[in-house]
Amino acid sequence: MYRIRFHGRGGQGMKTASRILGSALFSTGFEVQDAPRYGAERRGAPIFAYVRASRAPIDERGVIQRPDLVLVADDSLIPVPAAGVLAGIDAHGLLLIRSAEPAERWRERLNAAARVIVLPITEPLLDRAALPQVGATCAGAAARLLGVVPAEALAAGIEAELGGLGARVVERNLAEAMAAYQAMAPLAGAVSEDGEIAATDYHPPDWVDLPFETARVSAPAIHAALTSELVDTGLWRSLRPEIDYDLCKGCWWVCSSLCPDGAIHVENGRPVIDYDHCKGCLVCLAVCPPHAISAHTEAVTPCAESS
Amino acid sequence: MSEQETRYRSTRDLPSLHLLGTGTPMCAGCGGLEALHQIYDQLGERSLILNAAGCMTLLAVYPYTPFRGSWLYTAMASAPAGAQGARDALDILVAQGRLPPEEDLRVVVLTGDGSAYGMGLSATSGAIERGLDFLYIVYDNEGYANTGQQYSGATPHAALTATSRLGAGFPGEKKDLFAIWVAHRPAYAATVIGAEPLDLARKVEQALAIRGPKLLLALAPCPTGWDFDPQRTVEIGRLAVQTGVWPLKEYRDGQVVHTKVPRERKPVEDYLRTQGRFRHLFEPERQDALIAAWKARVGTYWASVET
Ligand SMILES: Cc1ncc(C[n+]2csc(CCOP(=O)(O)OP(=O)(O)O)c2C)c(N)n1
Ligand code: SF4
Ligand SMILES: [Mg+2]
Repeated sequence: MYRIRFHGRGGQGMKTASRILGSALFSTGFEVQDAPRYGAERRGAPIFAYVRASRAPIDERGVIQRPDLVLVADDSLIPVPAAGVLAGIDAHGLLLIRSAEPAERWRERLNAAARVIVLPITEPLLDRAALPQVGATCAGAAARLLGVVPAEALAAGIEAELGGLGARVVERNLAEAMAAYQAMAPLAGAVSEDGEIAATDYHPPDWVDLPFETARVSAPAIHAALTSELVDTGLWRSLRPEIDYDLCKGCWWVCSSLCPDGAIHVENGRPVIDYDHCKGCLVCLAVCPPHAISAHTEAVTPCAESS
Repeated sequence: MSEQETRYRSTRDLPSLHLLGTGTPMCAGCGGLEALHQIYDQLGERSLILNAAGCMTLLAVYPYTPFRGSWLYTAMASAPAGAQGARDALDILVAQGRLPPEEDLRVVVLTGDGSAYGMGLSATSGAIERGLDFLYIVYDNEGYANTGQQYSGATPHAALTATSRLGAGFPGEKKDLFAIWVAHRPAYAATVIGAEPLDLARKVEQALAIRGPKLLLALAPCPTGWDFDPQRTVEIGRLAVQTGVWPLKEYRDGQVVHTKVPRERKPVEDYLRTQGRFRHLFEPERQDALIAAWKARVGTYWASVET
């Protein structure tokens, strides 16, 4: 059985990636499961989707614990513990990272047992309209790495999943997927299937068992205000706005009022961005009258500046 | 409101301290959150918010809340009924001397358009009819956004939604909720938008000074449901006003007054072109009839205002 996980951010097409790969495998004759996994989080938040494929009926359920292939659409997620990118990946697994940095660097950094390869990106993606196509790219790369999906099946998967969105969308996604499919040709079949997991080897997930308590204990009334500030929505950001204070005219009532999240506060008459909570929408950049705000791609350690 | 009556004579008078907490799970660039955080700057902690199910009920997912005061989750159709109960309970507590009058709370409904224009309309009508002293905030993203942007009673003609995907888009017409409220002769009603913070601040100030049923109806550009880059939320909001698509107005003392009349209306197409949900009006072929219908609708509205 093949077990594949796609990691990305909401809006980067990971759910679509798993659908495309799932359809392609299905049309190739596999039994398939595919499922996205996310909660109430929205665009920009870490999400993942996974695919199981086997020639035999699949009895396994739930999240994949020991993946054969992990694809990471956005390398800034790797250091984010909540994203769980490296979960369960061992020497048998293959880790593909979409990154502007070479595979060497990632191997050193991660010191992971798994084989690490990079799908190079040449330019940072500043046009977010192209983001959803990242899903097609990942699906194309995965299809070739498995080595069992013919190009026609990949194309059929894209048509099946995206056909409703019109010919142009299909065409663009197909181009991205095929480019990745070609790029991975030297590694065709690098992913190997792993065996069935016997029920006796099954490890239950590490969840915390809560004893049954009365509502007053298990869901106590919370009288504290503003607890949402404990949530670091800054982790959702892929582009970071930065204010050039030499250009800033101090008209805080523009950016501070218009920031949807209220994440720009005013200190001594100047706007200050709260990077723990800024989601990187870049509304501030769009509205700043003297154009004092610019966008920068997040480095691989997006939270370093908050400490 | 005349300039003498308001604390907000210019944008410099806008609040520089934001009271709503950051770290909420709303999408990056959410136009509804932009309006809410501006409203909350004046509302503050002495408020009890009754939130009809929708995107914004995720604001206060246990144990997190961005609010300083109380919040209660209601079923989609029930927020105004909840508000009646809350108001009555507070009145009784004050009358019995169990709550000092200075600790009384303002009762506020927070609702999406799915409830406000549809499911919750009957309960709202009843609450206005009974003269309930409450503030009713609608963030109108023109669809059932939380569940994937199905069309609602607020969806505009020809928009693509999850349930009007094909052909010419949504065949129906957007209801005029402002007119529905005004027909009830409430204490106050106003349309607002987060992209125009000064106009919004004056209307909130006005609404908070009056007893009785009060509407604040905010058009809420929604990057996820309307398909545009989150950075363009304010640009699209301003265009909605400048093209005449979203008239800013208020009703009080039996009169409707337009608070920001575009001197020369920009072409409606400038607004439509910014959003993926209207892309089929321009690509692959221009849909002249649909565009003409949009222009005629906006033109007829303003002709009735200007005479
Ligand atoms: C009676 C009922 N039907 C359906 C739902 C599922 N539901 C939850 S939120 C939502 C969308 C609400 O739309 P809207 O009021 O416009 O708020 P938005 O999601 O756009 O913020 C729906 C349909 C529900 N909670 N209750
Ligand atoms: S779906 Fe739209 S309204 Fe809902 S949180 Fe996202 S941007 Fe806001
Ligand atoms: Mg809605």
